[in-house]
Order: sequence, then C-alpha cells, then structure tokens
Amino acid sequence: MLQGQSFTGALQSRGVNRRRFIKFCSAMVATLALPPRYLAQVASALEKAKKPVLVWLQFQDCAGNSESMLRSSHPTVAEAVLDLLSWEYHELVMAGAGHQAEAALERVVREEKGKFIAVAEGAIPLADGGVYCTVGGKTALEIARHVCSNAAATIAAGACAWDGGLVRANPNPTGAVGIEEAVPQAKVINLGGCPQNPANTAAVLVHYLTFGELPAVDQYNRPLFAYGRIIHDQCERRAHYDAGRFTQEWGDEGHRKGWCLYKMGCKGPQATFNCPSVRWNDGTSWPVKAGHGCLGCASHRFWDTRSPFYDRLPNVPGFGVDVTAGQIGLGVTAAVAAGTVVHGIASAVRDRMRTRAAAIQPPPAKPKAKE
Amino acid sequence: MSDLRQYSWSEAHSPDSTFAPVRVYVWELPVRVSHWFIFLPVVVLSVTGYYMHNPFIVGKSSTTFLMATMRFTHLVAAFVFIAAFLLRVYWFFVGNNWSNWRAFVPLHRRQWRGMGGMVAYYSFLRRDLLHHVGHNALAAVTYLVMFLLMFIEILTGLALYSQVRGSSVLNALIGWLPRLIDIQNLRLMHFCIMFSFFIFVIHHVYSAVLVSWEERNGLIESIFTGYKFVPTDELEEDATSRSPR
Repeated sequence: MLQGQSFTGALQSRGVNRRRFIKFCSAMVATLALPPRYLAQVASALEKAKKPVLVWLQFQDCAGNSESMLRSSHPTVAEAVLDLLSWEYHELVMAGAGHQAEAALERVVREEKGKFIAVAEGAIPLADGGVYCTVGGKTALEIARHVCSNAAATIAAGACAWDGGLVRANPNPTGAVGIEEAVPQAKVINLGGCPQNPANTAAVLVHYLTFGELPAVDQYNRPLFAYGRIIHDQCERRAHYDAGRFTQEWGDEGHRKGWCLYKMGCKGPQATFNCPSVRWNDGTSWPVKAGHGCLGCASHRFWDTRSPFYDRLPNVPGFGVDVTAGQIGLGVTAAVAAGTVVHGIASAVRDRMRTRAAAIQPPPAKPKAKE
Repeated sequence: MSDLRQYSWSEAHSPDSTFAPVRVYVWELPVRVSHWFIFLPVVVLSVTGYYMHNPFIVGKSSTTFLMATMRFTHLVAAFVFIAAFLLRVYWFFVGNNWSNWRAFVPLHRRQWRGMGGMVAYYSFLRRDLLHHVGHNALAAVTYLVMFLLMFIEILTGLALYSQVRGSSVLNALIGWLPRLIDIQNLRLMHFCIMFSFFIFVIHHVYSAVLVSWEERNGLIESIFTGYKFVPTDELEEDATSRSPR
C-alpha cells in the first residue's frame, strides 16, 4: 500500500476486480441506509479518492476492536477497508517497533495535520496523572490530545473509547473516560459496541470519503444509520415475543425452538444497534441468533446501566444483588396488607373499649356496632 | 380556639343526635369520574404491566398474540389514565373547596395540626376521629403524594413509549428524560411505583371503610353519588375553618 496511490489502483494490485468492488459499495450503501441511487456516487468517489492516512491508537483496551476489524474473514470488507486508507500506525499489527514506530506517528501528525483520520480504541485514565496507561513514556491523555486534536476526524471505536466502557465501570479505579470527554476539542464520532462492528467502521469511512463529512449522529455522536433503531424491532425472534412464547430457562423447549429470550434478561428492547441486520463474522450470526440475550453492549455505560445481564431490571440500590425489584415490591405490599389486618383488629378492640367506657358513664341509647 | 372541633364518639354515634345531618354535594362529577377512570386503568395497567415485566403465561400457539395484546391494552389503558389524571388536575383549579388544590397542599397550620390528629388516631394515641366534610389533612397529603407518583409514572411511561414509538411529537415532549436518566432506571422506577399503588389501594380502602364507619356520613357511597350526610354544625365549622384568616 503506497501512500498517494488511488483506491482502485490499490484494489487492482491486490486482485480485487470491479465486480467485487461494486458489491462492496452496495453493501456500504445498504449499511449507511442510503437509497440505492447513491451507489454510483459512492463508487465514483471511492475510485477517485486519494488514500487518506489513518492512525490507530490503543489505550486502555483489550484490542478487541482491532481483532474485530482484522478477524472479518469476508474478503471484500477486510481488503476494501485495509486498502481504503493508508494505515501508518497501529500498535497491534504494524511491523515497526519502538522509537521508529513512534516517529511514524509523529510524522503523520506533523505532515498530515488536519487531514489524517485517527481511530482510537480504549479508555483514557485520568486518575493519578494518567499513570495507568502510558505508551513510549507518554500518558494516554497526552497522546490523545496530541493526535486526536490534530486529526480531521477521530473515530472512537468500541465502548471504551466512546464512554470508558468496561474500564470505567463502577468503581472505575483508574478514573477512565472516553475520548470525547478526555479531548473535547477533537472532532469525534462514536462507534459504541463491545466490540464495534467493522462494517460500521467501514461505512463511516466510506461516507467520509464520498461526502467529505461524517454521517448524521444522535445525542451521543453515534452515527444514526447504525444506532438509530431498536434491536428488538429488527430481531428475528420478535414474532415469538409478540406471541408470548418465551424461553424460561437455558436449554428448555422454548430455547431449543428459538423462542424469545426476553425472560432471560435480553436487553434488545432497550438497546439500539444494527446488530440484527449487519450481524457479525460477515453476516453469519449475532448473539440473539446464536441463542443468547442481547447485553446492550452498544448502549451508554452499558456495564453499569445494562447489568445484571440476565435480569429484566437493574438491582434496587441497597438490597444487594440477590433480591429483585419484584420480590421487594411484593414483600412490601404483603407487609402493608398484614399490617392493615392487624390495625383493623386493633381498631375493633378500641371500639369495644369505647363502647364500654360510654356504657359506664352517661349511657346514651346507641345502636349495636356492626362489625 | 380549636379550628377542628373534636366530636366525641358518643355524640357522633347517638341516634338522637341534636346535629341533624344535611345532604352535601361534596364530590362533583369530574372528581368521581376521574377517581374511577384512574382506578380502573390502574388495575388494567398493573396486570398488563406486570405481564410485560414477567410474562407469567407462556403462549404455546403461534397465533395467540399474547404479549402484543397485553402491550396494546397497556397503552390504551395508559392514555385513559392520563386523560383522567389531566381532568383531575384541571379540577384542582376549578373545583369546589373540597377538591381544590388548597385542600391538598398543607400551607396552613390548621392542616398540619389535622395531620397530627390523624396520625395520633391511627397510632391509637387518640380515642376519637376528627370529623371532616372533605378529605382529612393526612389523606389529602397522601393523595398529593399519590398524584405526584402518578405523574412520575406518566412521565416514565411516556419516555418508555417514545423509545418504541419513534414519534417526533412525543420525542419533543419527553425526549429529554431518557437522556437524563438511563432507560433501564426509568423502567425500574416505572415498575416500583406500581407497588406504591398497591400499597395505597390497600390503605385507601381500609381507611375509607374505617372512617366511614366512624363518621356514619355515607363516605363510601359518596364516591358514587357525590353526596355526604353531614351534621349542620360540622358544615359550618368546615366553612369557617377555610375562610380567610
């Protein structure tokens, strides 16, 4: 991949023919939820595009988003995404190491200032001066400030880069935050998910190359094409939900028949993502199809807000993790009912005592108290 | 001087009472209508809502459409509930003295003293009940809290509905809420407040029966007919107590 080479040239040198290129463009147009007539525009824009430079930064992460990108076996997506851009820096896969690698990053920031695209993966620790994540002697915050604020756009890939993800989950010992919070001056688009879906990353890049701007976003700066619809509404098990056919426990009749996983704590009704339509491993499957409920991994702060993963509702604060809200509610209701019965008996006793007191003192003729 | 005259048990219950009762129109039609159109939807909403939380019936057939029917019923009942709630809120401002918001918000010392009296009665520190034409002060404050909880229930419910409905009007009205509080916590609130309705209904029915029996003024019937049978001097007492100081 030579810098400055055109995209078509790069594809042809790798033996990707026109047919596969158009198939890739169609997939991108569909993922972006654009009308089919945009296909020609996308194809011609990609043909003409000079490969922009991309640097991939890793902070507090598990490299899961890099793996997600690299493990996509479908040749078109992987090749096209890899060939779409000139990848100058990616700690996980680059050949260079040590000072040479850092020099490459420095050169991109200096020479391509305001033109290159940064992809960031992982959270940024702010506690104790950011000592919990350093690369080449510099803290994650220093690197992110230096690189992301000089980039044309930063793609925060995955939950950790978006909102701190797992690293930020309570009690957050390293004071981790997402890229957007750590570097407010950077132009960030968030691709939530644990990990992010490479199809969506590719679609964002294609959109950027075609239209020269980032796609429309929601309140969390996530692209609407990927995060605008509820998983539940796109789910293939939705008909079972509407019919009231639910898996009651793992491996039961309903589970074997592919019934709805709602009672197993599936967060599909509370999560937005294009998981059911784009799917994973090149459209092979996704969690609910594989028989496991959705965790809502593309939701904001999902480790805290979507847990417990196998219950419908969060735990009630102060009651531990073994008691559900329903048990507490029914328990309190039963206690009040019992208390009311006791109070009723006590009131009847009080009335008897009053009747007796009234009978001893000046006795007014009174009707018998009806119980 | 005592604003709330304390009637001794023997006075109120003696058949040859000198206080001849008069028929008073206490609960106007909108009050009664909103009462029942809050109660009935709450029953429907609780059953369908609990099913939506924990589908206790698992449909075997593919044509039952059980959850979808429950959700549809829940939504229809919810909008009936909202309409009744809004009617009652409107009546807070145009209704008679006993249904006006001033009867509910404890702004006067008289109301706080009345609450103390009711607490003392319920906890057996006091032998007799203070009589009221409308709500007693403690009941009024309880209803105020319940109206507040209903309002939270409506807000959280609409926020949850806006997520599935995707309506721009609804989103403009309530879209701020899911951005402020995570949707899962909204669902938890929506679910937990349901139990406060259960608890309230238990106490409400019990205290209505208890007070109706104590006062002998047709309290239970009044929510159907609107009329209570109140001794004349109690009515005068009620009128003077709310006249400007």
